[in-house]
Amino acid sequence: MLKTLIGSVSLATILMVQGAAAQETINMWVRTGIGTAFTSLADAYNANHENQIQLTEVPFAELVQKYATAIAGGQAPDALSLDLIYTPSFAAAGQLEDLTDWAQGLPYYSALAPAHVTLGSYDGRNYGLPLLVETSVFAWNKGLYKQAGLDPEKAPESWDEIVANAEKIRALGGDNYGFYFSGGACGGCMIFTFAPTVWGSGADILSADGKTATLDTPQMRASVNYYRTMVEKDLVPASAETDNGVNFMSFTNGRIGQQSIGAFGMGSLVNDFPDVDFGVTLIPGSQGGVASFAGGDNIVVTKGTPRLDAVKEFIEYSYSPEGQKILAENGSLPTRLDIADQTLEGLDPRIQVAVDAISVAKTPYTLLFNDLINSANSPWAMFTNAAMFGDDVDAAFANAQAEMQSIIDNAP
Amino acid sequence: MTSSPAVPIAGIVRQRRRTRRRQWQGVLYVAPAMALVTVFFVVPVLFTVWMSFHNWPLLGQPSWIGLGNYVRMASDSRFMSALSFTAYYTVVTTIAIFALAFPLALFVERQRRGVGAYRTIFFLPVVVGLATSSLLWVWLANVDSGLFSPILRMFGVTGRAANLLASFDSAFAVIIVMVVWKIVGFTMIILLTGLQSIPSDLTEAARIDGASRWQRFRFLTLPLMRRTLALALILSVTGSVLAFDQFYIMTSGGPQNRMISVVYYIFNQSFVSFQLGYGSALSIALLAILVALSVIQLRLLRVGDER
Repeated sequence: MLKTLIGSVSLATILMVQGAAAQETINMWVRTGIGTAFTSLADAYNANHENQIQLTEVPFAELVQKYATAIAGGQAPDALSLDLIYTPSFAAAGQLEDLTDWAQGLPYYSALAPAHVTLGSYDGRNYGLPLLVETSVFAWNKGLYKQAGLDPEKAPESWDEIVANAEKIRALGGDNYGFYFSGGACGGCMIFTFAPTVWGSGADILSADGKTATLDTPQMRASVNYYRTMVEKDLVPASAETDNGVNFMSFTNGRIGQQSIGAFGMGSLVNDFPDVDFGVTLIPGSQGGVASFAGGDNIVVTKGTPRLDAVKEFIEYSYSPEGQKILAENGSLPTRLDIADQTLEGLDPRIQVAVDAISVAKTPYTLLFNDLINSANSPWAMFTNAAMFGDDVDAAFANAQAEMQSIIDNAP
Repeated sequence: MTSSPAVPIAGIVRQRRRTRRRQWQGVLYVAPAMALVTVFFVVPVLFTVWMSFHNWPLLGQPSWIGLGNYVRMASDSRFMSALSFTAYYTVVTTIAIFALAFPLALFVERQRRGVGAYRTIFFLPVVVGLATSSLLWVWLANVDSGLFSPILRMFGVTGRAANLLASFDSAFAVIIVMVVWKIVGFTMIILLTGLQSIPSDLTEAARIDGASRWQRFRFLTLPLMRRTLALALILSVTGSVLAFDQFYIMTSGGPQNRMISVVYYIFNQSFVSFQLGYGSALSIALLAILVALSVIQLRLLRVGDER
């Protein structure tokens, strides 16, 4: 009995190994809400490679806990496109494959997007490599600007101007609104689009060492005030108050005058919504300056996956000129800087604004990012909703400040 | 005096053997159920207790911290607000369900035309999953593409489009209505079985004695339904204390985290903050609360007294 069992298991193993040499299916996860860059890349890869990628889209707010539970339960995918800020926590927990030797042997290793490489490293080893890069930018609808009697080619430079423009667009009536943001407790959306209004003016929500919450600054008060004003004046659709990120790209409906979006969103606007004529510029700070959030995903490999070589083949494909082009066409900025000019050549010129944003962009780094910022019930998510729609702004500041500090202090 | 005891003793021994054999048979019969309960309830609970004494991250090595998690719980203000919200929800939803289920049960108890159709219609929402009905109601309450908001606007109740899920009171009301719609049929069926178990001659006798309709309900129906009521009440209270799906799906715990139930908080601690140990301790606390609540309810309804 036992012999039969062992025999059949080893036979199955042999068959599997042989099958592996012939063709493999890589299970990969990607979060929702990052546009079509990764899915298009996977489709292109599947079309001209023997190995195939099976992609599973996971809701962006749940990706971290789903991946962690999948690891704990032995059901993790071979690789995934992981929001780069989470790479250190998973690497620290010893759950990711060490890619150092292979990665540093790539001829273009030194030309890979440096911020991603830094966040993908832990203890001097590479656990995550750049896959998707995007920055946040401010977009306006040129058609609505024209209708409202504004100069469609002139980018707004301050929030006073943005509010004034929003009022004119709202005055068009109907379902036309001046501004939009996902204000229903979407921490990820708000750190991406709203925090730059504070960063641009020189403030931040955490101290440099990440040990102190510094929410209550004059800059943040000013930023909140602009958003509140627009809500109070009915310049923002009522649905914004409960949008937990599902409708982040409301700008695509053509009835939103202005919104801060990301490069991925630009990609889908250009490809899928050619009717929406839009301009982009850097996000103004509430008290002067400009800023952006540099985000995106690293590709990480689950420790112990039997399909490591196939995953490596896919990563190399993503760095090939062809792969880079597909990514860029869908709004993901070049991860290989040595061929960036070649990659961007002939693409929509607006993508260049997102590339320029990299120089003023910030990527907050903390192991507590999910707890503090990104999860649906984080203090940051609660704060952005309470401060912009609630009755008591001071209480919103005080509560969020206290809760952020308590999460930092209680961290294991 | 010296009557031979041989025969009765042999009889007793035989009888004992038979009883013992029957007892073993009984054990055999309940063994599958016992095994299921052990594997899927006792062992997990014991393991949860074990985990609750550790700092147990979702990824990485657990470390023993004794009663640390329980000490932390005592001063955890977010846990306290989750408890008070859950209590509020339980009270409101239980009252709402019973206030509707009892009249419905009385209504469908009597043999009237189309009673089968009524019973089916009232029971239909029960077979819809809670997550599914939550999603359905999120859509109904959606400010742009939903049903309620445009209707309210059409009749001039609200001026501009009203986002029902944006403020605590209206979102809470939507959730209560959804839960009542979903659960009331189930409670109705339980109460119906209780009503039907009351012998009709008792009611008749009361009627002959001149008891009014209210008196018959108060002094006959209600007391005879004590056990059924206890069952329905315990099921309803337990279900409400364990509520999670509707808050997670319909409001993501908002607005401003004011709808985080205890189970939601346990979920967040365990799988968002990755602190499984603390989540386990919270679960054990919740289990203790539920046991206490059930004992109190059984006491209040004096179930078991008649034995």
